[in-house]
Amino acid sequence: MSEILNVQKAKERIDRIEDILASVAAGDLDARIQSDIEDDFTGIEAAIDLLINDLTEELRQREKMQKELENKLSKIQEQQKTILQQQEDLLELSSPVSKVWDNILILPVIGTLDSQRTQVMMENLLQKIVDTGCTISILDITGVPTVDTQVANHLLKTVTAARLLGAECIISGISPAIAQTIVHLGIDLSAIRTKATLQDAMIFAMKQNKRADEIRTLSHIVIPNEKPD
Amino acid sequence: MDFHEKRIPIIKIHDYLIVSIQVDMHDKLAIQLQSQILEEIARTRAKGVLIDISVLEMVDSFIGRMLSGMASMAAIMDTSVVIVGMQPAVAITLVELGLEMPGVDTALNMEKGMEMLESRLNNRKQDFF
Repeated sequence: MSEILNVQKAKERIDRIEDILASVAAGDLDARIQSDIEDDFTGIEAAIDLLINDLTEELRQREKMQKELENKLSKIQEQQKTILQQQEDLLELSSPVSKVWDNILILPVIGTLDSQRTQVMMENLLQKIVDTGCTISILDITGVPTVDTQVANHLLKTVTAARLLGAECIISGISPAIAQTIVHLGIDLSAIRTKATLQDAMIFAMKQNKRADEIRTLSHIVIPNEKPD
Repeated sequence: MDFHEKRIPIIKIHDYLIVSIQVDMHDKLAIQLQSQILEEIARTRAKGVLIDISVLEMVDSFIGRMLSGMASMAAIMDTSVVIVGMQPAVAITLVELGLEMPGVDTALNMEKGMEMLESRLNNRKQDFF
């Protein structure tokens, strides 16, 4: 009789353990067996409780770390965004085109040129030419230490594109190093007007301006006289 | 589609012809325009041609070659061609394609193109006298 009772009791205890394990598995980490009865099961129950404790601790720590990682990730992503934005800004800022005189634009280039930068430079310059209607632009490369084939080609392209728009592009401030590189690379710059310094380029541009003015007044005088009928 | 519906008008003003391209160019239209302009040069004895491409947003290599070809053809007929109002994007495309159009005169806008032709014509007259 007592044996049957014991078996029934044991069944109940096992059921309880199962219930607790099930609820822990379902996510309820506060559930503990915590039995008061002292018998053969006590050791097992205590061990299971301990295991659940350990598991809870581990899970909490993992959650904390995950949160930290997520925070760091979002911070890094934000920084990345800022860096990209600043890079774009820098590209824009690094090629300012300004109108310095009637009909004259200047694009001073400072620092090393790469393909991307020259591309942006070219687009900026051409857009500005169209916007302002200036027919002479000066590309001053005094502040450029060296050029490679690609960059020299890009400069050539810029000048040609400006010509296609109907504007003249003068390159000034070619340093000895750049002159050497360009000639060694076999790039033909003879079709392009180059001036020693920005000052020379400016003087040339203003002379060009004056000549255009003279032609304009001349044509206004001559054309009516040419029509006797 | 009938091409005659899409003829590009050629306007004569004094000694100049003005061609304003305001539709997207396709190859046949380009060829047609080329011969049309050359015939008009012969008929009106124009001294200069202004081609306005300021509305063209796309110029492929064919159109580019057509334009530069037309300039050299007109030059043999003693007429100067000025291409005006090219968009920056178009200029970049042409340069990337290697079509640098040597020998073709360009101007920023119609006004400047007209001035260019006038000064050229004046030079010619001055040479004569």
